[in-house]
Amino acid sequence: MPGVGLEADKHTVQGFAMEISVSKQELLRELTATQSVVERKTTIPILSNFLLEADEAEGRLTITATDLDQSIKTSCSAKVKKPGSCTIPARKLYDYIKLLPDGDISIKLQDNHWVQLRSGRSNTKMVGMARANFPQVPEFPSVSSVSLPVATFRNLISKTIFAISNEESRYTLNGALLILKPESLAMVATDGHRLAHIEKQGENLGTVPGGEKKTLIPRKALAELQSLLSNTDAEQVEFADDENQLFFRIGKRVLTSRKLTGQFPNYEAVLPRDNNKFIIIRSEDLSGSIQRVAQFADERSGAIKLRLEQNELRISSSSTESGESEDTIESPYQFDALVVGFNSAYMLDFLKAIGNAGEVRLEFKDAQSAGQMRPEDPSDDYKYRYIIMPMRI
Amino acid sequence: MNFTDFLGNQAAVRRLRETLAAGRLPSAMILSGPRGAGKYTLALLLAQAANCLTPITTDGLPDACGVCANCERIVASFALDERFAEAVAAREEMRDVDKKDTRILIQTHPDVMIIPPDPPQLLIKLGQVRTVIARIYRRPAQAARAFYIFTASSFMKEAANSLLKVLEEPPEHATLILLSENPSELLPTIRSRAGVLRLGALPAAEIDALLAARRPELKAIERTLVGRLAEGAVGRALGFDLPEYLAYRQDALIVLHTSLAEPDYSVLFRMTESYRAGAEGAIKTSGMLHALSLLLEDLLLIHSGVPALVRNTDLVKELTRIAHGVTPQWIEAASRGLDQVEAGMRRNLLRSLSLDAFATSLPVR
Repeated sequence: MPGVGLEADKHTVQGFAMEISVSKQELLRELTATQSVVERKTTIPILSNFLLEADEAEGRLTITATDLDQSIKTSCSAKVKKPGSCTIPARKLYDYIKLLPDGDISIKLQDNHWVQLRSGRSNTKMVGMARANFPQVPEFPSVSSVSLPVATFRNLISKTIFAISNEESRYTLNGALLILKPESLAMVATDGHRLAHIEKQGENLGTVPGGEKKTLIPRKALAELQSLLSNTDAEQVEFADDENQLFFRIGKRVLTSRKLTGQFPNYEAVLPRDNNKFIIIRSEDLSGSIQRVAQFADERSGAIKLRLEQNELRISSSSTESGESEDTIESPYQFDALVVGFNSAYMLDFLKAIGNAGEVRLEFKDAQSAGQMRPEDPSDDYKYRYIIMPMRI
Repeated sequence: MNFTDFLGNQAAVRRLRETLAAGRLPSAMILSGPRGAGKYTLALLLAQAANCLTPITTDGLPDACGVCANCERIVASFALDERFAEAVAAREEMRDVDKKDTRILIQTHPDVMIIPPDPPQLLIKLGQVRTVIARIYRRPAQAARAFYIFTASSFMKEAANSLLKVLEEPPEHATLILLSENPSELLPTIRSRAGVLRLGALPAAEIDALLAARRPELKAIERTLVGRLAEGAVGRALGFDLPEYLAYRQDALIVLHTSLAEPDYSVLFRMTESYRAGAEGAIKTSGMLHALSLLLEDLLLIHSGVPALVRNTDLVKELTRIAHGVTPQWIEAASRGLDQVEAGMRRNLLRSLSLDAFATSLPVR
């Protein structure tokens, strides 16, 4: 490669010297956390590699993986005999380390990007690539980060991620919006047909610049965060951003993601205000009924009909091919009768997100207006609402 | 390398740099021009100049330093053939399930994506355009402006259609560049969504001077020939493989002789037999057909009384002799026949048989 700068040369020289020893369990744990970022279907060879960097002063091995959209950087303690850096084919390394018995592994960089791994009686050599080819991974900014509680953040993600749009052309909907205020955090996601919104009051996030901070987090990054958050002992996530990147630090692991462009739609305008007809039903019953009835719904639309009458909810469907089906659930209902159609899959998504537990409150205005679903639990700290556009049947 | 090293088409290059200097780079453009005119080079130079961390000024216009972190990574893409081969090799090593829906992309800089036609069909496919759409709406990682460069206009139909939306509403931080030898190959709806910048052919004298400086190993007569055959494209002139062309032309002459002089079918069949199936045969066939079309063009030029423009300068005598034996109608019919053979190649007809049929079906003068 022409025009390789001085810095890259320095790396190669250092890299040549790298020699470390690291415990298998620790290395495997960190590789497991990072390997999901490595894309399997890429024709850019360097992206199927991990970057390993050994720092002598701190006695640490830093592992980086990236797919150019996002990256994870993590580290584990290591006995560093010679500091340096190298890249190793990610999948091969991960699969191989998994098969090794517990104990120490020595990793040594040799000539021509060959890397030698030794553990007990096993001895392996793999060929990596020049460290200079590895894309730059941005550093966590030193200023203006916000600490978010891990448990809350994880809950926010799992309650909204399913509503994110899959349509590539609606790119501003390909993520969830995180809304931070000094005393609350909220997340909202929509695909234009349904919207999931969850808010937690009573948090203390310290100072949020401007009193409110809205950030669109891409779906891929949310999925990665979900697994990082569920595999950590840390209680706080540090979150920061700059013009182009989002940064999340969970313990010693840092996830970065390129920001999505575009403006998230004004979702507040679609939150229903006067849905004053409601019925409360056990989630499990509702989920069971919808699943049964949906078997006979039109395959393409999945449409089911909800009929609310005196103290009962009838759920029905019919299609020309498969027949028709109806389920009745009894529950107090004192308002005017109402018939409204919804996509059954959207309703089931919500019930699944709340774990089919407890009771759920269905709120309506009329057959032409959006319906709202909420978990019926007055003791809950979270304000969770799910809005579905009706279907004409 | 920077803009000052770019050869030819100074007016077009200048216009492009001026739009860059004014911060008015279009979000979608078509760079058209003959093969070897420097379309790819120019596109990468533009990506460099727009993203250089330590930009310099040449001729009073912005240019790239070529050595900063951004430039260095973009420069790595100049060796397109090498990067392409690496990408294909990377795909070959994949598991079969992954191989099937993996498409070739080149990205030496995270924000400069190069989309070459995907082998083996050598068409730009839906998967590639989908990746572009997924990536383009993300903020650039290290560049000020992201670039997406399509190196050919041979799109699959679905791929071309799915590009329309993003061409119409590209994010403000990105530029899409479509390189095309023949913009008419692109959908009219694509053409209407992008500005066109044409790289024209260079005058023969300029090419000749350039060849004298850069390829001193060529003899004067060969130099004139290469200069003419390069059709005004710098890259083609500098990389012209004369012996290979002469071999193709020899075969093309056999086809011509078959229909004009006393046909010697054994010679013809021995020749056409060597045009086999497979990728190698495809290259060989298109090279030979191109040589044949240049010969036909020369015949027409001689017929029209402008022998000074003849490309195969070493064959003027023989071509003049042939030209006097044919009518313009014959040349027209032959070139139509040639088009048909080329169309047949795209439909994967048997190469040797198509060539035989073409040679024997040329009307007797």
